[in-house]
Amino acid sequence: MNYANFLERMHNIQDTYGYIPECEIDKVAREFNIPRSKVYGTIRFYSMFYTEPTGKYIIRVCDSLSCHINESKEIVEVIKDYLGIDNGETTEDRKFTLEIVECLGHCGEGPVMMVNDHIYTHVSKTMAIEILDKCV
Amino acid sequence: MEETLFLKREEVKDINNYDFPALKKALKMKQEDVIVEVKRSTLKGRGGAGFPTGLKWELAFKEAADKKYLICNGDEGEPGTFKDRYLLEESPLKVLEGILIAAYAIGADEGYIYIRGEYAKPIRVFSRVIEEAREKGILGENIFGSGFNFDLYLVKGAGAYVCGDETSLINSIEGKRGRSRIKPPYPVEKGLFDKPTVVNNVETLASAAEIINQGADRYLSLGTEKSRGTKLVCLSGDIRNPGIYELEFGQATLREIIDDFGGGLKNGSGLKFVVPGGISTSILLEDELDIPYTYEDLDAAGSSLGSGAVIVVGEDHDLIDLMLNVSRFFMDETCGTCFPCREGNRQIYHMLKWKKNGFTAKERQLIKDIGKTIHLAARCGLGQTSLNFISSVLDKFEDELMVRGDINVEG
Repeated sequence: MNYANFLERMHNIQDTYGYIPECEIDKVAREFNIPRSKVYGTIRFYSMFYTEPTGKYIIRVCDSLSCHINESKEIVEVIKDYLGIDNGETTEDRKFTLEIVECLGHCGEGPVMMVNDHIYTHVSKTMAIEILDKCV
Repeated sequence: MEETLFLKREEVKDINNYDFPALKKALKMKQEDVIVEVKRSTLKGRGGAGFPTGLKWELAFKEAADKKYLICNGDEGEPGTFKDRYLLEESPLKVLEGILIAAYAIGADEGYIYIRGEYAKPIRVFSRVIEEAREKGILGENIFGSGFNFDLYLVKGAGAYVCGDETSLINSIEGKRGRSRIKPPYPVEKGLFDKPTVVNNVETLASAAEIINQGADRYLSLGTEKSRGTKLVCLSGDIRNPGIYELEFGQATLREIIDDFGGGLKNGSGLKFVVPGGISTSILLEDELDIPYTYEDLDAAGSSLGSGAVIVVGEDHDLIDLMLNVSRFFMDETCGTCFPCREGNRQIYHMLKWKKNGFTAKERQLIKDIGKTIHLAARCGLGQTSLNFISSVLDKFEDELMVRGDINVEG
């Protein structure tokens, strides 16, 4: 088994289910011939892998220094208010998960937010709401 | 002042319009000669540590092994840094060329490019580049009829800053937690799957390709004696024109970078301080900015060029809030292997979190002690540098941050 495929495998499971369910952990453990605890431990190390269901849209707002200076906190507050959830939580209808994350690599264009794979730069408070509305 | 275009000179995204001049040139040279040329250029690693690239290649080349690996490190995570993303999006073919040249030089027939999971667009762009390169025979067997075989695989990261450290990155590719390894053995001896491995940053490899293409002499004609060539500077923060600027070392002072390229501070705000190389480096104050942008001058000023992330901070920000922000970053991103880094960063975060009034001399001493302990005990660069920002803010804004009367008392 090529261990270099492990992360890719996890990404695929994550993309399919929106998280990595226990049955898949079992399968992967057998396939790669490693204990389940090791698979679980590895998954939990990476912030982009989840062992609980996430929302259809994962909203990531950067709050590292450059974005922080550009008032990313305000964007976070607006989104929290709008969705009624806190950092790390998922809405009841499983539509949105909100995460305050570290640098997304668009430091010159902050504040920055990411909805699944899509990046939005120079985000204003109204823009943040518009982006969420589009998802609904 | 104008940018010095060495890396940004020619940006081609379409593989049909690019004939890989540097790679063709390298494949006609002996492996040793490619290494000599890169060594002669004095290129240093651009990920932050600044290790001489040619020497790394030479060490890996000299290892006798049935298999060697070349890894391109695209796990750019240092806040304020976005040059690798820029190169992967705008110049992916040059990055690929650098990978192939490095692999040829050290004798690797397999390689990985590790791109952080958050970089969705670079991942898309580079996946396509790999596919097209395979179709055109630029990856695979007998590349350009030279007898050199090489294949490249893309590994997507999954959100862990520490994987930017080369040994953590190797663990991550092996499907493990991204924790650093004890060195020695260094990756050039025992790296990926215990085989000799070279891990190079994206900008480093693109630079190596241009060095082979334009020649080490051209590279040596740029910069200062101790910092040759050019650097992609990532300007961000309270600045009018943020972005990526390619500068010849020594071409401009930090102040000129901020004023001439960055257009000065936005909203007419005054300057509080500058982070010259990402949040793992010590800050510089307004009166420390008249130094040429080179490795040696930033070192002499007590900071470091780091990854090239220049973050400009205006005067309207609350220092404790900024310290807390940086502290949270390191608390979240420490891999947890070395106790002082894991617990030290957590303690400092909690100390800052409840801080409303100034620091006492005792608290300052405590932060310094923790910083020193982490620096001495952590085995990777993340830990060693994790308190540079906080310690330097505390030192340089003593008047503002210390409880009155406690400034000069040694705790």
